[in-house]
Amino acid sequence: MTSCIFINLKKEKGKLVRKQLFIAAINDRLFGLPRCSFTPSLSGFSGGHLSLQFLQTAQVSDTMRLACLTLLLVSVCWALPFRQNGFLDFTVEEISGDGPTHPTPPEDLPPEVPIGPVCPFRCQCHLRVVQCSDLGMKNVPEDIPSDAHLLDLQNNKITEIRENDFKGLKGLHALILVNNKITIIHAKAFAPLVNLQRLYLSKNMLKDIPSNMPKSVQELRIHENQITKIKKASFTGMVNVIVMELGSNPLTSSGVDADAFKDLKRVSYIRIADTNITTVPKGLPSSLSELHLDGNRITKVSADTLKSLKHLAKLGLSNNEISVVENGTLSMMPHLRELHLDHNALTSVPAGLSDHKYIQVIYLHANKIASVGTEDFCPPSFNTKKAMYSGISLFSNPVPYWEVQPITFRCVFDRSAVQLGNYRKK
Amino acid sequence: MPKRRPLRVCRLLERNKDNTYFSGPKHPDLISTMRVILLFTLLFLCHGKPYKPINIMELMKIHDIMQQDNEIDDDDDDDDDDDNDIEDNFITDCPFGCQCFRRVVQCSDLGLTSVPRNIPADTLMIDLQNNDITEIKEDDFKKLSHLYALFLVNNQISKIHPKAFQNMGKLRLLYLSYNLLTQIPENLPKNILELRIHDNRINRIQKDAFKGMQFLHVLEMSANPIANSGIELGAFNDMATLYLRIAEARLTAIPKDLPSSLTELHLDYNKIAKVEVEDFIRYKHLLRLGLAFNQIKFVENGSLAYIPKVREIHLDNNRLKNIPPGLNTLKYLQVVYLHANSITSVGVNDFCPTRSKVKKALYSGISLFANPVKYWQIQPATFRCASGHRALQLGNFRRK
Repeated sequence: MTSCIFINLKKEKGKLVRKQLFIAAINDRLFGLPRCSFTPSLSGFSGGHLSLQFLQTAQVSDTMRLACLTLLLVSVCWALPFRQNGFLDFTVEEISGDGPTHPTPPEDLPPEVPIGPVCPFRCQCHLRVVQCSDLGMKNVPEDIPSDAHLLDLQNNKITEIRENDFKGLKGLHALILVNNKITIIHAKAFAPLVNLQRLYLSKNMLKDIPSNMPKSVQELRIHENQITKIKKASFTGMVNVIVMELGSNPLTSSGVDADAFKDLKRVSYIRIADTNITTVPKGLPSSLSELHLDGNRITKVSADTLKSLKHLAKLGLSNNEISVVENGTLSMMPHLRELHLDHNALTSVPAGLSDHKYIQVIYLHANKIASVGTEDFCPPSFNTKKAMYSGISLFSNPVPYWEVQPITFRCVFDRSAVQLGNYRKK
Repeated sequence: MPKRRPLRVCRLLERNKDNTYFSGPKHPDLISTMRVILLFTLLFLCHGKPYKPINIMELMKIHDIMQQDNEIDDDDDDDDDDDNDIEDNFITDCPFGCQCFRRVVQCSDLGLTSVPRNIPADTLMIDLQNNDITEIKEDDFKKLSHLYALFLVNNQISKIHPKAFQNMGKLRLLYLSYNLLTQIPENLPKNILELRIHDNRINRIQKDAFKGMQFLHVLEMSANPIANSGIELGAFNDMATLYLRIAEARLTAIPKDLPSSLTELHLDYNKIAKVEVEDFIRYKHLLRLGLAFNQIKFVENGSLAYIPKVREIHLDNNRLKNIPPGLNTLKYLQVVYLHANSITSVGVNDFCPTRSKVKKALYSGISLFANPVKYWQIQPATFRCASGHRALQLGNFRRK
């Protein structure tokens, strides 16, 4: 790359390349087809040196032409092929070649050489993925290749993460420890993992959120453990977290500190389902776009707990004990698109639906709603609603469907979007 | 593909567009066009960032930013209904509760009882682990022809429709472990590279179960009640599998009909009683052999000669009375686990060849602890072809 730029800085005067070409190049770049393939056309330029001084002295038009060309060439060279490199991409790379996962054994092995790549026995190591799941391991194995990107230790019998288990694994992006028997994680165990983005600790026996998790983590899954508390300090400094799954833990509302989520400045998805919490946690970050709190014991949705969630698009509150959604709650979430309130104890359609501009899906089935008014879903006048409903469910409520007037659903995209009767559409 | 926002540096440069320094008096037209081009190039240049792999999470963040942009637009809305389309797309994009980052659909741990609908058609990877899905229906994955990886681990799947995997020519990883399957699903996609079907209820591997799956390199089918009689003749025909694990099953002998291409074979936690001469005839490429936790009483003379390239053998936790004959002929053997057996004596030539320099790779791990043999009865010269002291675990202790 550097050499490419270096060469281009030497060009002085060039034949006027047509503007169309520039634009073509720009377009190519925008459409993701950039390559360094323009470089061969550089051959027509003569040598010389471009310097800042030169820029200041020569005729302005010349300078600019030159600057244009140079910059363009530099940038064309700079444009790199788009390459996605994420979670499983190192495995995806293999799409291109049908090469074997393991190198076929060479016919004649060189003598006295530690043969083959390092890989823990029974694990499979290919393309920087170390796959050690389902092996009945009681400890994190030794000899994990130091360049590993993804370490899968799912479904083993690991009871403890020791201090040096992940020593030297600087390049690790994803660590999957799901379904083990982990009770203890050494306070320094994660210290070497400076690039870890995904940490999956679900289905273990952790009693606390591990301390000292890498700050680089973007996705944290700690579903199905024995965690009872989320303390103020639990997520300190974890500014990179985007996805957090905390469900199926014996959490209680009193165990969740109000400031616990304060540092999660970028989080967009939080799920705390199937716990014992009775209220919506306080102090949730405003960056959230999805919040899933189903399967809890929430009895009431109040406006002030949701007031900072301006960007929320999906809210799941199914299978709770909600009898009241406070007036004004929905207006706290102006961009809500999908709201699940099924399997609760609501006696009426939540207020504010008809004023909400963007809500499209609302699940209210399996509640105790006894009557539905004509203004409950749709505003009295047209054009105030920005998006039509694409899903409304009201079945399994005491209200008989023949008592719901058809005009109630005047702002629904399609008749099939409404599920009214005492049946489930399959 | 979402357009990336220019970096802050770009914005600074952008500010320069009114700078008189760049404007010339003579050819205003030309110069102004050039200025535009220059500006474009600068912007463009800022787009071309130094090579840095972009990952899915990165794209997710961008998506968030875009979304916020939309919302900002929405706030000063009046009657432009254009944005509705965007919103519609957004909402139908991802099943509720799942997270969809660029072509990865993450739906694990959601208590789903069936495969969700409206999975985006261009999805590369679906994670449906740890749900309560009972059945894979014919249309569940219809249209998902780009799918590369499908994870269905830990569900309650007992039925998979024979046509469920149709049009999945690009599927490479299929994980079906921890379900209730009783047989290898029919019509598996042909181009699978890795199949994990660990911990199901499979007791029979029917003939042609893996027919045409010549790319299947990793097959993990442990923890199924498979006995030797359950493997039908020709079940593994035409396969080029490199890694095969059938641990925690009901095997009483080493199956003789496995793919001959194998480089790793793991049969730990079975009920294998002995290793016979012809057991490894087909498996001459074997590099790693796992036979720990069986009931092996002896290894017949000559059986190991068929696997001359082997580097690592685990025979620990068996019932061996002697060091398996033929270890000293294996030029590349580096690791051999023999702990927790009933070995009573170790001969001076059991591990190393009599002539020096025949051995091509020195031992890096020999374990003999938890055997009746006393370590002081073993002559030090027995391990003359080991790389050092640390390579040996002799005493009645486990090295920690």
